Amino acid sequence: MLRWLVWRDLTLAWRRRADMLSTVFFFVIVVSLFPLGIGPEMQLLRTIAPGVVWVAALLASMLSLGRLFANDYQDGTLEQLLLTPQPLFLVVLGKTLAHWIVAEVPLVLIAPLVGVQFDLSRETLWILFASLLVGTPILSLIGSVGAALTLGLRGGGVLISILVLPLYIPALIFGAGAVEASIMGTSPSPHLSLLGAFAIVSLLFSPWAAAAALRISLE
Amino acid sequence: MMNWPDLSMGGYGFYIWGSYLVSLVAIVWEVVSLKQRKKAITQQQQQSSNSVPASVLRGSINETTS
Amino acid sequence: MAGGNPNKLAIRNRKLAINMNLYKYASPATFYPLAGKMIPWFAIPAALLFATGLFVGFFIAPPDFQQGEAYRIIFIHVPAAWMGMLLYVLMAIYAGVGWAFNARLSSMMASSLAVTGAMFTAISLITGAFWGKPTWGTWWVWDARMTSTLILMFLYIGFISLQAAIDDPRRADRAGAVLALVGVINIPIIYFSVQWWNTLHQGATIRILQKPTIRGSMLAALLIMLAACWLYSVAVVLIRLRCIILEREQNTSRFAEVGV
Repeated sequence: MLRWLVWRDLTLAWRRRADMLSTVFFFVIVVSLFPLGIGPEMQLLRTIAPGVVWVAALLASMLSLGRLFANDYQDGTLEQLLLTPQPLFLVVLGKTLAHWIVAEVPLVLIAPLVGVQFDLSRETLWILFASLLVGTPILSLIGSVGAALTLGLRGGGVLISILVLPLYIPALIFGAGAVEASIMGTSPSPHLSLLGAFAIVSLLFSPWAAAAALRISLE
Repeated sequence: MMNWPDLSMGGYGFYIWGSYLVSLVAIVWEVVSLKQRKKAITQQQQQSSNSVPASVLRGSINETTS
Repeated sequence: MAGGNPNKLAIRNRKLAINMNLYKYASPATFYPLAGKMIPWFAIPAALLFATGLFVGFFIAPPDFQQGEAYRIIFIHVPAAWMGMLLYVLMAIYAGVGWAFNARLSSMMASSLAVTGAMFTAISLITGAFWGKPTWGTWWVWDARMTSTLILMFLYIGFISLQAAIDDPRRADRAGAVLALVGVINIPIIYFSVQWWNTLHQGATIRILQKPTIRGSMLAALLIMLAACWLYSVAVVLIRLRCIILEREQNTSRFAEVGV
């Protein structure tokens, strides 16, 4: 069931490839805005790079969250999924996994390219990649709770952002911290470990919370 | 052991009195806006007066319904 | 003994009666007048305690060794910060209970707590800025405490915004409960990560917005002000709760019957 769900969501997303690409384009554009706003001095850019890339990843994830449940909600599939004998948190987990593959993995893959714009060393680029790889599931998981709570509400994307961005802050701190540690030459592993721990905690709690939120939103 | 503080608070007067003024304003705002909210509700309900009798608003209810 | 059984029965009946009496207050319509009677019992002592606390804080507590008179801001800053945190936890508890037991009044209480909690958090942020400027030179300081308070403000704003965006009151209650509970679980994580972030980016020896060494009269003033804020909160939250009850229950038959 889980595999079927994930496969279904991936297929549907593939049919709307443009959505996938727009998330990536948004990410790249936002990252490029910062040097334009701050100045091209490379030393400064190297310093702000971890924060900038991570914040852009947060914002790009934010935008894609609306799609997590909304499409199925609009055509009635979501209510059908609620009626299946499968536990709802598995449904949520499946959709979140599909969302991660579609919306976040492209970001993770393109981040090193973007990091080159900030003159990061090869080792730092690897850490950037790793931090986003571990951190983006957190974004999808916690984001799913926000998406479930705001299902069908007006105020859409902005409302999700208000709800979810404060909850993203630990991921931002540990993720950007890992990259920054790499730039400064210290070990990024404490940051990455904490990030991993947070990811595991999110995995344990978010699907359950999002399932409860879905029930509440669909009553 | 009472000591009369100087009103300028050793030069920090603006910050100290500023803080307390802001807090006072916030508290007053909260209470006043609640009073206005209550007034708006009771006005609205007097206009559709069959839903909430004035006795409820006066708080003179002593019984429950079963 | 001869009186064994009837006494036990009487005690059991009395306990039942008390339980039933208490449960009746779970109904918004019955709690409404009780809340009204309670309010002055909290509002007036609150005003008195505010006056007392400020008196002790300004006339009895001596100036601080390092910060001079500027530290006196803590008599409003610290209680406000504590109330902001305390009210958030209370809000989450009431919201959770309201969701778990389908108790409307409990959820309404959570909604009422949110606004007062947000207000205290805002006061804490503003007075913190007023404290930072003379003691550290800038209006805003990104230290662990101020940053955590700012994030708490965001959490309040999220809760209030979510409830404001949902038209159906019961959905708003339950959605708020999920958000508040997720928030409350995340608060230790967020606090820890902010501490982590803070110690990374500045020397561990520098502590911004250092508290003055607390002496007896200062502590007394602090505790009196805290009690005052607490009593004030109860009064204001009950007033708002009554408004919420009126707004939500005005068209139910319960209210109509009760008034007859």
